[in-house]
Amino acid sequence: MNTCLNTHSRHISFVTAAAAVIVFALALCFFGMSHQSFASTVEDGMQLVEGSAVNDEAGIGINDFKRMNKGTARSYNGTSFGYRFPLNDPEAFAVIATSKEIIVFIPQQYADECEITLDNTAKTNAFFELVAELDAQFSSGGTKISKLDVPITYSIGQDTVTTDIAQYKRDVEIGDGHTYITITRTDGAQDKDDIVCCDTGHLVKTAAVQVEAIPTFLENVQAFFAKIDYRPLWVSLKTSATALVVVFILGLLSAWKSMGVKSRWKGIVDTIFTIPMVLPPTVCGFLLLLLFGNSTPFGSWLLEHGIKLVFSWPATVLAAIVVAFPLMYRTARGAFEALDSNMLDAARTLGWSERRIFYRLMIPLAWPSIAAGTVLAFARAMGEFGATLFCAGNYAGITQTMPIAIYFSWMGGQTDVALFWVGVVILISFIVILVINVYSAHAQRYRKGELTRKERRILKESGGTTTSIDDQSFIEVGKEDIQQFVGNATNTSGGAA
Amino acid sequence: MLEVNRRAFLKGAALLSAATMVPASFALADAAQEKIKLQIFAANSLEKAMPKVQELFVAANPNVEFADTQFKASGDLVEQMIAGAEVDILITASKGTMDKAEENKLIDPATRLKMFNNDLVIVRAVDADITIDSIDEVADPDITSIAIGDAATVPAGKYANQSLYSVGLYTGSDGDNGEYDPAIADKINLADKVGTAASWVSTGDCQIGFVYSSDVYRYNGIEVAFVCPEDSHKAISYPGAVSAKSKNAEIAAEFLDFCMNDPDALEVWAEYGFEVAEEEAPKAAYADGTYKGTIKIDNADVAIAIEIKDGKVSNVTLG
Repeated sequence: MNTCLNTHSRHISFVTAAAAVIVFALALCFFGMSHQSFASTVEDGMQLVEGSAVNDEAGIGINDFKRMNKGTARSYNGTSFGYRFPLNDPEAFAVIATSKEIIVFIPQQYADECEITLDNTAKTNAFFELVAELDAQFSSGGTKISKLDVPITYSIGQDTVTTDIAQYKRDVEIGDGHTYITITRTDGAQDKDDIVCCDTGHLVKTAAVQVEAIPTFLENVQAFFAKIDYRPLWVSLKTSATALVVVFILGLLSAWKSMGVKSRWKGIVDTIFTIPMVLPPTVCGFLLLLLFGNSTPFGSWLLEHGIKLVFSWPATVLAAIVVAFPLMYRTARGAFEALDSNMLDAARTLGWSERRIFYRLMIPLAWPSIAAGTVLAFARAMGEFGATLFCAGNYAGITQTMPIAIYFSWMGGQTDVALFWVGVVILISFIVILVINVYSAHAQRYRKGELTRKERRILKESGGTTTSIDDQSFIEVGKEDIQQFVGNATNTSGGAA
Repeated sequence: MLEVNRRAFLKGAALLSAATMVPASFALADAAQEKIKLQIFAANSLEKAMPKVQELFVAANPNVEFADTQFKASGDLVEQMIAGAEVDILITASKGTMDKAEENKLIDPATRLKMFNNDLVIVRAVDADITIDSIDEVADPDITSIAIGDAATVPAGKYANQSLYSVGLYTGSDGDNGEYDPAIADKINLADKVGTAASWVSTGDCQIGFVYSSDVYRYNGIEVAFVCPEDSHKAISYPGAVSAKSKNAEIAAEFLDFCMNDPDALEVWAEYGFEVAEEEAPKAAYADGTYKGTIKIDNADVAIAIEIKDGKVSNVTLG
């Protein structure tokens, strides 16, 4: 009884621990997601939208900030325009930064609105600081314009600035109505030399600066779960379930059939069936790729006949089958071999066919092991990575299973998404282990001579007070006695089952 | 008891598999809708920028949709194409990998074009206490770990090795045919794609890494420590081409053109640090050499010899 309780409480603590791990992982994901607002006069509970900044003292702000790190020296229809950056909004200001000088273009209309003039250095400086602040946010590792110690030239209303180094133009029309910022060197150097970046955005008065409500924790959670692509879970379940059906049937049949093989061949057959368990999954994947891919005669023959396996969903299933099969096969065979051969022989003397013996005797007797093997095979199929990546690739929604999603989300810099999938996989694994434990605990109890749940219920209904028996009473009473008692009780109560 | 459990178990398994099969067939039905589906294989470094350009293209061409674009090391992409993957557009990070695709007749050479330029940079974690003023400083004792793409498949690794060769820290001039100098050999960590090298540096697993300047903009937490001089390695260019087996070659070519000329697309490339390449001179119709023949001048046959050098007619001899 105590052990039984202990096992249950242990299960519960495992589940709690798993839940704690996931909650912790999710909490980690949201850590650092909130935007930081730097202007104190932005109302409480509000924040600037991304790409906006404000300087209340100077009465100016910026919206729709963009930083372009590279432009192009590509000519258009054979004409060269120097080095150019797209200016998709002709109303935008432009800050061109090179390692020698910085040019700031402000369209007249917006300079007037914000009362920025060339003489008012306080205002121009305030504007540049705002740009620099946003530039630092958007630089993501590139050189920040605030770190450039170079002269700054302001141009208000004028769209062309010529210096000793280059001619800069803000609003050049190239092609059908599209405008560009162009830089043409006048000092003989290459047009693209020394260019750091080009910042654009909208200059506005403080009232027009875009703000938004700071998302609550719940909204952050919602946004996080909304952005996740759940297809890997679906692909994983679909793949493992399909693979499991095949593996279950194939595993049982081959375990059964290989038992009848003469001992000389038995070893070889056994090795062939088991080897995928020992081989690194990449080897399995590589062999599958060679077999079904275009690079071998067999593979290209298959492709010619319209059987395209590699880099498709069937390849995912195939990979899962190959790696999960040995687990099913070995557990089933171990269980079959452990069966009392006298019992099988007895069935034979009764005239049972081999098939009947298999279905009616071997499978039921070996069932606990088979079930455990099935669960293990399912887990293995679910966790398959190497072979799948090799021969099925990483196609979202088609072959991208959870393990592959974890790897590629992390590689793509989406650590939070990777953590989410890690949480899901841990959760599924816990459930799988829990199922095995509960199941085997059940099977063990039956073997140890403890009462099954059904027996306990009958015992209780017939007026018994205890729900189990301890070791001492086991010695005194014995299972047969109890079962006899239960049998009597069943008879008297008219078949409670 | 066990008997019942087994039945329930089998029933559950059957239900589960049935449940998975039914939506699977729906998915197949979805795919049958009449949308042109383009499959792009693109160099790993384009992972963040390319999906945005694809979105722009879909907005302009609603009848087009994109299959899950594959962003791997260029060498891997070509291998995957050789193995039989279906592709409409291939964009690699080096001339060599695209040449291999062309040799294997995987792409249509007529559609091949130079798309982007990139720079090779040495990156460090943001605000790390490391300064690098020249390539040979990577051999300094304070640098204990260097992330480099595996030159066998990762073009960025090959360029990195070429620049190491320029300062004598690598023995092969091509970047994939030598050994690292003992001074740095123990510090090198080979990455399966350039993004891996960048993320090793951002997570602090490596102190510095050789990546493209564009990688700095797609990974948080890394910054440029040093820009490798352009003459220290071969020019970094990204060729793109339509696959030879593409069923939608026309729309695929249209997408490549969109990448190069659409102002919104240009803005995306600009933001992510990809410099759109200059237009190349049209390919020579004839290979270099001397071509001989006869032409009729005033009804008389005159022998003519045309010499072509560097793709241009350099000399014409009559008679």
